[in-house]
Amino acid sequence: MQAGIIDFLQSLADGVLFGTTYAIIGIGFTLIFGVMHKLNLSFAAASIGGAYLSLALLAVWRAPSLVLLATSAAGGAALGVLVFLSCFRFIRADNALAPLMATVGMLLLIDEAIAHLTAGVPLRYPALFPDVMLDVGPMMVRSDLLFVFAIGCVATSLLMWLLYRTRVGIATRAVAQRPVAAALCGIGIGRVNATTFALAGALGGVAGALTGTAVGVLSPLLTLPITVKGLIVTVIGGLGSIPGAILAGLLVGGFENIIQHFRGVSERDLHVMLLLFAFLVFRPGGLFAPPAGRD
Amino acid sequence: MLELKGLSKHFGGVKAVDGVDLRVRKGEIVGLIGPNGSGKSTTVNLVCGVYPATAGRIMFEGADITRLAPHKRVRGGLARTFQNIRLFQRLTVWENLWVARNTAGQGEPRRLFGNWVGGQRAARASVEELLEFAGLHSKRDMVTGALAFGEQRRLEFARALAAEPRLLLLDEPAAGMNLEEIGDLRHRIVDLRRRGLAVLLIEHVMELVMGVSDRIAVLNFGRKIAEGSPAEIQAHPDVQAAYLGDAEV
Repeated sequence: MQAGIIDFLQSLADGVLFGTTYAIIGIGFTLIFGVMHKLNLSFAAASIGGAYLSLALLAVWRAPSLVLLATSAAGGAALGVLVFLSCFRFIRADNALAPLMATVGMLLLIDEAIAHLTAGVPLRYPALFPDVMLDVGPMMVRSDLLFVFAIGCVATSLLMWLLYRTRVGIATRAVAQRPVAAALCGIGIGRVNATTFALAGALGGVAGALTGTAVGVLSPLLTLPITVKGLIVTVIGGLGSIPGAILAGLLVGGFENIIQHFRGVSERDLHVMLLLFAFLVFRPGGLFAPPAGRD
Repeated sequence: MLELKGLSKHFGGVKAVDGVDLRVRKGEIVGLIGPNGSGKSTTVNLVCGVYPATAGRIMFEGADITRLAPHKRVRGGLARTFQNIRLFQRLTVWENLWVARNTAGQGEPRRLFGNWVGGQRAARASVEELLEFAGLHSKRDMVTGALAFGEQRRLEFARALAAEPRLLLLDEPAAGMNLEEIGDLRHRIVDLRRRGLAVLLIEHVMELVMGVSDRIAVLNFGRKIAEGSPAEIQAHPDVQAAYLGDAEV
């Protein structure tokens, strides 16, 4: 019995720590939804794409971990801007479906590009952090997961600082709330939107690298499950809410790891879907539904 | 300063604005009145670029701005307020003014992370002045959604001024105000003229329009049916007919 509780806590801790990556992906979805009021389904694929770009750097130079993270972030940001230009900038905003379908196209394109360039073979992703087991009371904590968690916290804090303390961030929030009024206050909406895609993309690139290092490999097969998890996190957290995405990411991470431990990996996603179903039925607005209404 | 030439906006078959000519000179307050649905708000939306014009031209300080993006018009010196208040509800009072101030007066697109130190100091100082102007100094860190209606109106007025416009479009600024607030608003508008701003005032409250306007233009069914001094407009038979709904016009 005692061992069961420890197992439970152990899986919970591992899952919550890994859930950081879900939280970041969820923040990305939510951030873009905030300014565009449209989903960008290619976001998780672009995040993995960013991580692949850092692997490309690794092929020519044994870069230190921080440089790899930064490259992945930069790659994610570049892909984010590319997605903005190809799926949103020149497509009429009042057409609800066109940008959405365009982002599905980008998701498939990025997937295919990766599959072709790597011949469909999963590539090993290096350990960015020293891999030690730390004894915490009766439990063991994987130090690399602790690093994943720490980097996730730093990246999220940086984003919050940008959004709440800098003028580009305040402008971003203004556009998210009232795009027309923002334009009529002299804010260049296109530029703010592009910046948001770059920021979200950079965050996604970090998440991609963290996923790579936690899983140990990168594969184009990762994009779909991460897209689905990211969307689930976004819905559970409340579309448009950053605190919601963070909380939901950790929740889903912990929940799925507990299920995986006690019910096996084959049942894991089933239960995550049931969790989503429960939210859609009982709390469709998510944990923190932001107030509606914009012009 | 502002010149509309044959400005038209058609929504499908509806001619919301139909060949309107209008001039606003520097330091002048021009009233734009007309019954509901006569095209006043559409005219404002055309001038500030919310809608593209179907036909006609908009000239501002000698330049054709008919096809210019809205935010560039603002940066060029043309700001507005809204009939139904459109503040950034979840930003603080200070942030509302700050975002608007940061786009001021440059004419050129600003670098997003550009000129941090010097530019920010000047901008912060002028946000303080605007807080003073709006009488919201003590509420600077409040979220604007929590402000009283009259305070929101004053803040929106101040936010429009934050862009340092040379022409201000006021879209029914007195809507929902009591007499005392309207008196205060009147002083503010007259004060703008003293500072050399031009104002295009759309308003239903006749005491206000008649009291402050140098000239008044009247719209009905998207067309300009009269223009002249307040006294001329009040005596104009077509205007009286339009407001009384006389079918013989």
